Amino acid sequence: MEKTSKSAKFYLALVFIVLYTPILYLIFYSFNSGGSMNSFESFTWEHYAAVFSDTRLIMILINTVIVALLSALIATIIGVFGSIGIVFMRNKSLRRSILSLNNVLIVSPDVVIGASFLILFTAIGVKLGFASVLISHIAFSIPIVVLMVLPKLQEMNSTLIDAAADLGATKRDILTRVIIPFIKPGIFAGFFMALTYSLDDFAVTFFVTGNGFSTLSVEIYSMARTGITLTINALSGIVFIVTLLLVVGYYFVSQRGKNPVGMGVRK
Amino acid sequence: MKEITRAAIAIVIVCIILFGVNKYLNQSSGNASSDTLTIFNWGEYIDPELITQFEEESGFRVVYETFDSNEAMMTKIEQGGTSYDIAVPSEYAIEKMKEKDLLLEIDHSKIPNLSNMDPYFLDLAFDPKNKYSIPYFWGTVGVVYNPTLLDGQTFESWDTLWDPSLEGKVLLVDGAREIIGMGLNSLGYSLNSTDEKELQEATAKLKELTPNVKAIIGDEVTPLMINEEASVAITFSGQAADMMWENEDLDYAVPQEGSNLWFDNMVIPKTAANVEGAHEFINFMLDAEVAAQNADYVGYSIPNAAAVELMDEEVTSDERFYPPEEARENLEVYKNLGLEMLGKYNELFLEFKMSAN
Repeated sequence: MEKTSKSAKFYLALVFIVLYTPILYLIFYSFNSGGSMNSFESFTWEHYAAVFSDTRLIMILINTVIVALLSALIATIIGVFGSIGIVFMRNKSLRRSILSLNNVLIVSPDVVIGASFLILFTAIGVKLGFASVLISHIAFSIPIVVLMVLPKLQEMNSTLIDAAADLGATKRDILTRVIIPFIKPGIFAGFFMALTYSLDDFAVTFFVTGNGFSTLSVEIYSMARTGITLTINALSGIVFIVTLLLVVGYYFVSQRGKNPVGMGVRK
Repeated sequence: MKEITRAAIAIVIVCIILFGVNKYLNQSSGNASSDTLTIFNWGEYIDPELITQFEEESGFRVVYETFDSNEAMMTKIEQGGTSYDIAVPSEYAIEKMKEKDLLLEIDHSKIPNLSNMDPYFLDLAFDPKNKYSIPYFWGTVGVVYNPTLLDGQTFESWDTLWDPSLEGKVLLVDGAREIIGMGLNSLGYSLNSTDEKELQEATAKLKELTPNVKAIIGDEVTPLMINEEASVAITFSGQAADMMWENEDLDYAVPQEGSNLWFDNMVIPKTAANVEGAHEFINFMLDAEVAAQNADYVGYSIPNAAAVELMDEEVTSDERFYPPEEARENLEVYKNLGLEMLGKYNELFLEFKMSAN
């Protein structure tokens, strides 16, 4: 094992270099006073100052975060109950068809979903803006949450539920004290997947934004028409660092949560 | 379970706080007035200071949104669900929007600053008497090149692009009208030609250009030229100005045989909610000082004669970006050729693209 681990380490390092070099390159140039990505002149904070002095940009950033958090939260709630429903469905063929429909939504292109939502919203007279973006983000996140939660549910031994019922647990108890604690990792995974999907979605959002409501992906896309300015670098740098901090924070929280007894069933 | 509920509550609280921050920013950036004006413009196409200035002067709160292509903008306006008060399409898009009845007529009596405009840019074929549109920026299509990487070529004629020494060096913009138009221009024909024979000739000539073509691309052309990874590109004058700002070696030329003259114009879509404010905004943008400041920021050429007076001599006397009237004689504005003819252009362009690979 010792010998292979060296080459494995090398491989891992290579993968991480490929993944992170572009981001670090981008962040590096966000400190460039030169105004372009050609050559590094000297260190400056001016691009970060430009981001914070542009209230419009900050508002768009906040919008993006609100939509991501809310849509991921709602999608997780709907997705979790949806997958519980699917798992306990008696009719096998119906279950299979619902799962297939769920998968169709995952593989269907964003443009199609976005255009469909645009047509739907305008047909029923919904004003494009915060609500339309939120609804469509919830919609495309649900299938992902289902896909994350379902394996956990299938992993669960059904005798666990029988045992709980034998011991006098009500349906509500079974749900909140047995099923949900067991599938908790899946729920969190689903939530974070939905969060990232929402944060970087461009194609769907582009169609359903309007009336002063915009998200970062749409904004950066139209800013890039006249070439990428270093303000975008600075903004991306901020988003990257914040995400990094969130992940680190989540890691510590989940580490702490692992110790107490009775939190889910260890495998 | 407890942990999940706690996490959910935390998320909701964070969202509420962010909502509050956004509300606060919204109020401090704009006016407390409930009147809003929604503007739909190209990315980076206005000096943000001017928006603030307009908000202070008019009392309207401006909501500013951006798009990246005429087609995208048109789709959003056509589908409804939005209430943009101002949009800034290019001339051919204005013709299409007129056909689809998406525009409101502009009341010229509410725009006294119209007198600042250079009459040359008013009353053009795509919108006679400026019934629906007011010019915002204009420019040309031409050749941006890097003399330090070339052996003394200048691009007074389109034919220079066919020079064997440019093998594998020329970047083309990915647009059927631009490239087929260039082929037509190089033969001395109009770039609005609908003559089958002329179009075939132009395509045949373009096919001879293929050994020189390095790539057919979109906006990525800017970094390639700035970083000196390419030496010649067909591009729009404003884009060329951006590149020359970043890399002083670059130069821009509009070949003599003729080229395209394009306009981006302000219009008021039918779905506008604040028509009064839209007129006020158009009038504001036509103010000499405002237009000059905006042109300084954006870098494109403005059709505002009074503003040109106020601007830096060095910029406005640059004939590459403010060609004198004689030089403009060879320039043509795109006409709307109709769906069928546009299909023909696209087909020929595809044919050329396939031969270029």
